[in-house]
Amino acid sequence: MADRHKEGSKSKYTLDRQMPGAFEGETVTRRRFMTGVTHGAGAVAAMAFTLPALGFAIGPLFSRLPWSWQPIGPPEDFTDTTYTTKVIQIVQGIGEAGNSIAYVRKRDPAIDTEPLDQYNHWVALSSRCMHLGCPVRFVAAAERFICPCHGGVYDFRGMVVGGPPVRPLDRFYTRYNTSTGLVELGPRYSVNSELQRFSPRDPGQPLDGIGQYLYPPRFDTASLTSR
Amino acid sequence: MNQAEKEAYLREYSILKNQGKPFFPYAVAKDSVMAVVVMIVIIFLAAMFGAELGPKADPTTTTYVPRPDWYFYFLFEVLRVMRNIPKFTDLATIGVPTICMILLFLLPFYDRSPERRIERRPVALAAGLTTIFAMAFLTYTGANTGSPNTVDLQPPASLTAQQKAIFRAGALVVGNSGCLACHVLGNNGNDGPGPPLTHIGRILRPEAIASTLRNPTAPMPSFAALAKQNPRQFYDLINFLGELQ
Amino acid sequence: MPKLPSPPLPKALRPAPRRPGEPDEKQATTPIEVAADAGISVVDWIDERTSLSGGIRWMMFRKVPRGINWFYTLGSATMFAFLNQAVTGVFLAMYYRPDAAGGAYESVRYLTDQAFLGQLVRAMHKWGASVMIILIFMHMARVFFFGAYKYPRELTWIIGVVLLILTMAMGFTGYLLPFDQRSYWATIVGVNINGTGPFLGPYLSDFLRAGPEFGATTLSRFYAIHMMLIPGLIAALIGAHLYLVSKLGISAPPWIKAQEEPELRQTTL
Repeated sequence: MADRHKEGSKSKYTLDRQMPGAFEGETVTRRRFMTGVTHGAGAVAAMAFTLPALGFAIGPLFSRLPWSWQPIGPPEDFTDTTYTTKVIQIVQGIGEAGNSIAYVRKRDPAIDTEPLDQYNHWVALSSRCMHLGCPVRFVAAAERFICPCHGGVYDFRGMVVGGPPVRPLDRFYTRYNTSTGLVELGPRYSVNSELQRFSPRDPGQPLDGIGQYLYPPRFDTASLTSR
Repeated sequence: MNQAEKEAYLREYSILKNQGKPFFPYAVAKDSVMAVVVMIVIIFLAAMFGAELGPKADPTTTTYVPRPDWYFYFLFEVLRVMRNIPKFTDLATIGVPTICMILLFLLPFYDRSPERRIERRPVALAAGLTTIFAMAFLTYTGANTGSPNTVDLQPPASLTAQQKAIFRAGALVVGNSGCLACHVLGNNGNDGPGPPLTHIGRILRPEAIASTLRNPTAPMPSFAALAKQNPRQFYDLINFLGELQ
Repeated sequence: MPKLPSPPLPKALRPAPRRPGEPDEKQATTPIEVAADAGISVVDWIDERTSLSGGIRWMMFRKVPRGINWFYTLGSATMFAFLNQAVTGVFLAMYYRPDAAGGAYESVRYLTDQAFLGQLVRAMHKWGASVMIILIFMHMARVFFFGAYKYPRELTWIIGVVLLILTMAMGFTGYLLPFDQRSYWATIVGVNINGTGPFLGPYLSDFLRAGPEFGATTLSRFYAIHMMLIPGLIAALIGAHLYLVSKLGISAPPWIKAQEEPELRQTTL
């Protein structure tokens, strides 16, 4: 009897375990069933409001910003010796708060060694310092871009010459629109110290060596592949 | 703390608690007086200094110098101190505060000694005082540093008023031209790749400085364009550098 | 109904015992006595249904150890500064419009220049934030130097550190709301600092900005975090912090030693 009881307590059937009121073939006790229902239903109910709210909050990570080619002026506006400052719109619908600055000049084959394609006949630099995003200023006398926050300095091509920035100034795709006769500005892209193009990253994220793996590309950035 | 020490503490504490007084009204009275003091301080500060509203946010500015609120000055200063080492930017911005926060979180777990009197906890005393002084120092220096593009050198006393004005104008040109990116001037600027300029006037005569500015060795940019377009600024610049004895 | 033991009030606050010759139960005659009786019966009615008085007595009439001093008021002072922030914040929210296209700045300008007492309330909110940060650091320093975070109060310390981080996050999210130059650029830099964390940084800054650029919903996101998400968390955690303080008792100053009296030793054995 003692042996059978021991054997019975291991059995998966409640009847074998001498449970009072057990049914033939029953494996789950009522208490365990109710506990499971409590946990399961509670989890489903809590997830029913948590998951949509969470999805709503992180949704913008996956949506791309709409962008369009913005005319910035006729080709005569831009020389290859100095930069012209152009106000551009990067976010639509919030007025002045969605604007930004681009420094634009004509490509100078003597100094611009990156391969020429249809998108870089004009060099358009973003005004965001690649240290932490402060607004850089172009100083014509020194042919330098200077950041007021932590002293980052870039040369005429936007390459870092001093201070903490981790990569050259970001750039914009440019093209010439033959039907309007105007230079147009496209989406922003990031460059590493060899001026290779990357999808746009935030300031402070290096793109040389291991940097491009530490800071993966995001899902929400507009990109334009060179054709 | 082992089990015996825990029990000893609880026994000691229950005796102290029994000898104490009720929370209400003895402790609450002190708390209420403190609340009144807090409100007096807040209302005094509010009435004295008000709340200013700066110009409207403008993402297209090229002249604005961003500053954080005062309680982030210490972080701002850590960033400024570590700016010469681009590799460590991540360390300063994310690493240092994260490590400090983790250390703060885990404090009860790595400091497990039963001793509570601060004079018998030399490591804790040293760490606490170091933290307080470091935070106070970083906040203070963070509050007092100007833009990294200004040169805070005072003109030598031997100069005439006119020469002093030229000295200040030249310092402004140096700041605005980004010289500090590669040169050290006193306490300002990055040490390298360019040579330090703190005592450049001892080494080079003004004429030599002018010719170097016109025909520098790469990667330094030429200031010939400045000399042509704005000779006044170029003159101020040369005189300023020549006075750095 | 069983009578609860009377609270250990100091002598001056206890009701005077009945003098010989006075009637047993004084009938309320003056209007003040009638009002007091009505008040007592309302409190009795609530207490009969909630039994709150036991909890309040537990909280308010617990003993605090010998030797506590002014340093022990820093915690409650921090909570008081938080109450100031909550109340002034609610009144600021009545005027504020989280609209990046210009409405936010205009509403703060209106609030500061036109609204009755608006300048004062906004200044109280702004300076209250600074005072709260100073108080929270002083409170933390007191706990650190008194060794009050040690057994059995480790969890109280951890909740306190979370409260400190949340308070700093309040400072960061609130800084953007006036939408002037300072706010905008400080937020750009702050979000980019978060973005420099390896691997997760880019996604964290996207989450804060609600997109790859500072956009239309960034401001409302900061506003919702600043006035609903974090204050709710702070209030809940202050409750947990206070419960633990009441349950474990306020730590005694480390230099106070118990003088063990014979009868006390008897009771503790």
